[in-house]
Amino acid sequence: MSAPFYKLGAFGDEASLIVAFLIGIGFGFFLERAGFGSARKLVSQFYLNDLAVFKVMFTAIVTAMLGVTYLSWAGFLDLSLVYLVPTYWVAQVVGGLLLGVGFVVGGYCPGTSVAATATGKIDGLVFVLGFAAGTLGFALAFPLVKGLYTAGDIGTKTLPQVLGIPYGIIVFAVVLMAVGGFMGATWVEKKMAGRAVPAKATE
Amino acid sequence: MRVLPKLTLNQRLGVLALALGALAVFANVAPGHTVTVNAKELLTSVARAEDHVTPAELAAWIIEGRADYRLVDIRNEKAFAEYHIPTAENVPLATVTDGALGRTDRIVLYGDGGIHAAQAWMVLKGKGYTQVYTLLEGLDAWKDEVLFPVMPQSPTPEEKARFERAAQVAKFFGGQPRAAAAPGSEPMALPTQAAAPGVAPPTLPAGAATGPKKKREGC
Repeated sequence: MSAPFYKLGAFGDEASLIVAFLIGIGFGFFLERAGFGSARKLVSQFYLNDLAVFKVMFTAIVTAMLGVTYLSWAGFLDLSLVYLVPTYWVAQVVGGLLLGVGFVVGGYCPGTSVAATATGKIDGLVFVLGFAAGTLGFALAFPLVKGLYTAGDIGTKTLPQVLGIPYGIIVFAVVLMAVGGFMGATWVEKKMAGRAVPAKATE
Repeated sequence: MRVLPKLTLNQRLGVLALALGALAVFANVAPGHTVTVNAKELLTSVARAEDHVTPAELAAWIIEGRADYRLVDIRNEKAFAEYHIPTAENVPLATVTDGALGRTDRIVLYGDGGIHAAQAWMVLKGKGYTQVYTLLEGLDAWKDEVLFPVMPQSPTPEEKARFERAAQVAKFFGGQPRAAAAPGSEPMALPTQAAAPGVAPPTLPAGAATGPKKKREGC
């Protein structure tokens, strides 16, 4: 077992910030290469005529999942040391809906807005300022929303634990879901092509 | 195989993902519960007394407010609730490798005696935790040496000075120094967790924990 590198002490706290920065740059680079620096491309997702967001994100999930599975199978990665975000299902449902509304209205999600700002998009910059203000507002209002923040706490859970299905079968099921999803998405895109295109602005 | 060249890149990647996904059904990703120990290294560090801290050292760390280590009580929750050394956190023995402790954390383990902590120390060392220590002789020694220190019979001036310092530390932790021991005397009551409010932290001379030193003026 040699990974996760940070948990096993391959580098310290300061170096971990540099690593995080480099990974962040890489993340932004690929968001931009996928076309996600454009709000029009992102919002097409909700008009069902360009499901690139769904495809790219699900591809990333499947790639990471297979990578983690095989690295751990090969004895390189200790999965028990990989940090898992605890589940607060009520808080996360409410937060997810809020993020979705913000995504449709603002045209970006947090990561893509930063990528858009980096390429000089004014709407991206406005979005970043908006989410900075929102973060500050949340911090100030925290005593009021504290109850919601931890609502639905069921601890750290994984699908194999919750469903009682072996890890490998879940992996295969997610791959099947993804490939099925890609085929379905392509079919939907063809169906919706040319319909309900967001108004083209002069750019 | 003739079909493959006709597929687009995306379709080929899809096929690859399906193949890897199907093979993953057989993957065994359960975290390893076996450990490999370097026997010589472990034995050497035990022989050099690099595997433990003494109760006096730990008491000095707590009084100094040091925050560069984690004090871990490996007893069960009930025992922990009844009494634990101030600043300790509870990670029961069976769960020490479950992720609550970081491999690069400086960890001081203690149980009732010295044995459970030493066993956990062994396992953690084998799992690659780099800075693990035990509290020498565990909570028993903590009680005897820190909470309820005993004034030796007919002490030398040096022993007396040492006892006075220990008495100060004992009061800080809510304990009670004892006069010359009557063996088999009734057990002392353990302090409650809000131990001794209002007792000012004793001023420890530098290196107080490392051994007897001459008493300083005004100490």
